[in-house]
Amino acid sequence: MSKQPKQIAIYGKGGIGKSTTTSNISAALSDMGYRVMQFGCDPKADSTNTLRDGASIPTILDLLREKKKVDAHEAIFTGYNNIYCVEAGGPAPGVGCAGRGIITAVQLLKQQRVFEELDLDYVIYDVLGDVVCGGFAVPIREGIAQHVFTVTSADFMAIYAANNLFKGIQKYSNAGGALLGGVIANSMVHPYQSEIVDDFVRRTHTQVMQYVPRSITVTQSELGGKTTIEASPQSTQAAIYRQLARRIDEHHQSAVPHPLEPSELRDWAASWADTLVAIESGEVREAVGAGI
Amino acid sequence: MSKKKDSFADEGLAGAIFTTETQVLAHTNVQHDGDDPLNDILSSPVGFIEQERYTCAIGALQSVVAIPKAVPILHSGPGCGTMIQGFFERSTGYAGGSTSPCTNFSETEVVFGGTERLRKIIEGTYKVLNTDLQVVLTGCTADIVGDDTAQVVNDFKRDGRPIVQVDTAGFKHNNLVAHSDVVNAIIDQYVHKFAANVTPRSDKRLVNLFASIPYQDPFWKGNLREYKRLLEALGLQVNVLFGPESGGVSEWQTIPRANFNILVSPWYGLPIVQNLAEKYGQPFVCFGHLPIGAGETGRFLETVAAFARENNAGTNRCDIKALIAKEEQAYYEEIDNLATFLLEFRYGLPNHVHILHDGGYVVGLARFLLHEVGIVPKEQFVVDNTPAEFQDAIRADLAAASDKRVIPLYFTADAGAAQHAIRALKHRGRGLIIGSGWDKELACEKNYDFLSASAPSPYRLVLTTNYVGYSGGLRVIEDIYSAVLATYA
Repeated sequence: MSKQPKQIAIYGKGGIGKSTTTSNISAALSDMGYRVMQFGCDPKADSTNTLRDGASIPTILDLLREKKKVDAHEAIFTGYNNIYCVEAGGPAPGVGCAGRGIITAVQLLKQQRVFEELDLDYVIYDVLGDVVCGGFAVPIREGIAQHVFTVTSADFMAIYAANNLFKGIQKYSNAGGALLGGVIANSMVHPYQSEIVDDFVRRTHTQVMQYVPRSITVTQSELGGKTTIEASPQSTQAAIYRQLARRIDEHHQSAVPHPLEPSELRDWAASWADTLVAIESGEVREAVGAGI
Repeated sequence: MSKKKDSFADEGLAGAIFTTETQVLAHTNVQHDGDDPLNDILSSPVGFIEQERYTCAIGALQSVVAIPKAVPILHSGPGCGTMIQGFFERSTGYAGGSTSPCTNFSETEVVFGGTERLRKIIEGTYKVLNTDLQVVLTGCTADIVGDDTAQVVNDFKRDGRPIVQVDTAGFKHNNLVAHSDVVNAIIDQYVHKFAANVTPRSDKRLVNLFASIPYQDPFWKGNLREYKRLLEALGLQVNVLFGPESGGVSEWQTIPRANFNILVSPWYGLPIVQNLAEKYGQPFVCFGHLPIGAGETGRFLETVAAFARENNAGTNRCDIKALIAKEEQAYYEEIDNLATFLLEFRYGLPNHVHILHDGGYVVGLARFLLHEVGIVPKEQFVVDNTPAEFQDAIRADLAAASDKRVIPLYFTADAGAAQHAIRALKHRGRGLIIGSGWDKELACEKNYDFLSASAPSPYRLVLTTNYVGYSGGLRVIEDIYSAVLATYA
């Protein structure tokens, strides 16, 4: 029997840069010699675009819409460095059940034993982070991914979504579901932003895998339909993504996070609001981010 | 559409005359034969099904009901169990029918998820029922909203409960397919726990039999009894797994020890023996149709005996020829007894038959009636929604029944369309229809004799009758001619 691939899921609020991060991780892992599949679990189906020169691919649900039986291979396309690209896809906005679509897509590949057949080292699920229904929690259930990473910025809504994800992970953790590997802090510009994320991971008993600064290189690469790893392999940003990929590769022990209760989260955010006002107004305090 | 009154030179349709124009809207899967007008009737311009002779996937709860002291727990709307109970009737078992625990999944569970409710129902089941095995089956709504049923069930497994979970959303497939899902779920999630302490295939005489689907085959109980009797006469020990002839859940625990598996089916049940081949290295032997009457039962026994020898089952001392001769002696004595009856009624008995059934019964009954009863199979209809990849093998199996006669065979999921096709056919002589209770009206309309032999069965009570084996063949003869004699005043 072939080896079992390491399966990881990357969650994050919409627009936070999770597909960018995921694609760069996939690209960096494949550069390290691994056989990688990136599985986009988002109805808008653009997770793998930058691995394929900006081109979209037919989604599993597109194929299922056309015919009853789909051979999973029809939905698998190769991208940069022979990374296997798959998009779950979804129904038209406002129609049907996107969550059920994700369940169907994941099950299709699992049932047809594609992962074993392709002899993969990594399967990376790129999932939208507002775990709004059971379907979007499928990758963190038993038997799918082993490690979850969440992409967040220092914005409150992104942290709120990460906290919700932690609740999902905690719920499934007793039943052999995926555990949390850590947080990828994205769009870091000011020092206080990393401090906010640091404070959040401390309170929720997890860790930061990497601080990824906001970068024009990423934007340029994306506009060219490429990952930073492919478009600017010598850039500082590419080095950061490579370091992140190495850390993920070396990561073996995930844990159950301790999500904040809604009132705790509100109070925590409010305390940071006060701190930020103090920073803006030049108030001198003993320690930034000491919390409430 | 124009009226068609052509007669057909094709041997299979010899004597058949189209008399009516019928347009049928149905899902069909027929072999394309440009000259066959039945295909026009069976073709589907729109695609709805008038009469299914099976249920949606959750109907496989009956496979649980058929295991002594096992209970199905439905994570579904309240209508699902009621529908299944209505379709199969008299199908309660230990805790099935109207007594199956059910979460009655409704709006609250759709909006908020139903896993907590399921947990309570399972806990309640333990308080009320003393069962050996619990199988949680999901309905469409639970699977659409994405309830993680497996997680709830796993919690109970960790407490040491003999509990299994299987997705049986109706939008996935029907009960003939889901039967394999249920059996494989029990094997994977429960039986396999006992495999750690035993060597697979260690019991050379033991075999697992997968034949009738409980309740979908109205004669399942009797059929399993007859298979068991015959296979034991070969020197084998047989796990029939369902019904009173099985040893209940403790018999299931011995599945991995069996030397090999026997599948009697044209397609359904195949994933079970494939799973066991992969899991425990057990080879399997397939018999594509039901062995009814002396000829086919003898062939079935010879096939299994040869396979048992290949697999060193220790049955060499059994004299297969003597066994068949003994069974045939009793069988043909009854056929001899029929001689005067057949002579006396020779002009008042059916000479041709249309069968509407699953592939295993259509081929099994057609072979039996052609060779051993003298009722000629005319157009036959397999109405079990046979997956396309198995249809050619079923055609070949029926075609091999005779090198002198072509028996036209049609596959359609819609038995209503098949009825329309039969309505449009005319053959000389007295005819017989073998189908479900829903075909009784058609038989009346055509002035044909009628035998109810498939689900649903509203006009016939079947308890322990068998149609397979030597005694099964005789019983089919009894049933057909009793129905004929009942028409004489």
